[in-house]
Amino acid sequence: MKRILGIGLMLSLSLGAEKIAVIEIKGMSCPLCTVAVKRSLQKTPGVFKAKVKLNTRRATVRFQDDLNTSKLLEAIRAAGGYEGKILSVTPSAPQKH
Amino acid sequence: MQRRDFIISLSLGALATLLPLDANETAPSDIKAKGGATRRFHVVYDFDLHNPEGKGPFPARLWNPMPYNAPWQNVRILHFDGNQDLWNLNDDNAYDVPILYAQWRKGNIPKKLRIEMEIETKERSVPLKLIEEASKRHLPVPPSVRRFLEPTEHIPTDGKIKAKAEELTHGIDDRFKKVKKIYDWVTEVTFRDPKVIGCGIGHAGKMMDSGYFGGKCTDISSLFVALLRAAGIPAREVFGIRLGKSHFSKALGKADKEGVADITTWQHCRAEYYIPGAGWIPSDPADITKLELVEDRKYDDPRVQELKRRYLHSWEMNWVGFNWGRDFVLSPKPEQYPINMLGYPYAEVEDEPLDYYLPETFKYHIVSREIR
Repeated sequence: MKRILGIGLMLSLSLGAEKIAVIEIKGMSCPLCTVAVKRSLQKTPGVFKAKVKLNTRRATVRFQDDLNTSKLLEAIRAAGGYEGKILSVTPSAPQKH
Repeated sequence: MQRRDFIISLSLGALATLLPLDANETAPSDIKAKGGATRRFHVVYDFDLHNPEGKGPFPARLWNPMPYNAPWQNVRILHFDGNQDLWNLNDDNAYDVPILYAQWRKGNIPKKLRIEMEIETKERSVPLKLIEEASKRHLPVPPSVRRFLEPTEHIPTDGKIKAKAEELTHGIDDRFKKVKKIYDWVTEVTFRDPKVIGCGIGHAGKMMDSGYFGGKCTDISSLFVALLRAAGIPAREVFGIRLGKSHFSKALGKADKEGVADITTWQHCRAEYYIPGAGWIPSDPADITKLELVEDRKYDDPRVQELKRRYLHSWEMNWVGFNWGRDFVLSPKPEQYPINMLGYPYAEVEDEPLDYYLPETFKYHIVSREIR
């Protein structure tokens, strides 16, 4: 039993805790805007995955929990002057990246 | 299962049903194209879609805008072949925009499609006298045209747009006189900004709010359309592509001695406004600014003024129109929607749109040859 717990602890330490942020984005006006935002988010150290939708004007970002969410908003701004607003941040089970 | 390449060729009769958007339906009293020379162009689109993320198998979907049928433009022959798994020609969207849709399953094979068309065009001009006389009659706007008075996300009709339209048309009742006031103002204050990517986004509200009137054809046409709608004149942008040599200026289209032109990046947005009794009237305020920039001429230069006079009510038809859709959803529904305009091919790999402003990475190539 101790061995199993130990393996579990090692795994969570090596994978790190993750979070998911849902961000509202203002200023996206065409499908290509979503590409620019997605690329900018995914270039940010600590971001594992980003999905951006034009119809909802929202991004869903999976990131390392020690990353300050202000970095996500900076990345969105850097993509072309878009304005992001964090709607929610929730813990997520670590995934294979 | 091994795919089979396929080839589809369509005659004029079949095309009439497959490319159903007919400008006459929405402009029953529109004047027929008349007088001017008929021109014919053989146009070839070549697609070889690539995965922007690099290697590995990928699925792809493509929506390509197709020309509509009208007295001034006609697709006489359509032929396409490729290795797609699914395809259709549809106009299943809010503006009846004709689209050739193709889809490839996830796989390593190249995603190739070739579209060949023979397009016939005729000079399009509505006589000023006809427009003036129709305008004086103050006829009601037909129900089928009223939607082109409504705002869209990129064509607001309130705020500064509304205020400017009211300022420009204050005290004027006659619709065509209102059009001329707005056309004069738009062609004078706007200028072509070569730094703008492609044809521009066409965000009329943003342009008016910013007070920066530099842009490209979609930006300038959208400003014109927004002001007209705000003034109660139905109007729309018309997205299309230049096909070859302009008889007015090289700035507006050119070709080599054989009439061949690489038109891959020649997408061009024009405009139309509606005067009841006269129908849809062609216009092109953006090309005034292109002539100024390319030929290094001022607004009051006689040559610029000559083009301005022509483009209040005509189009030189070294161009073919695709549609007047703004802020609409394609069919089948893409991952990203709505699309702000469809003047360029649109494609998605996985859930990501390919950059239609970069044909070399997308990849697509369009060549036109004038048939003499």
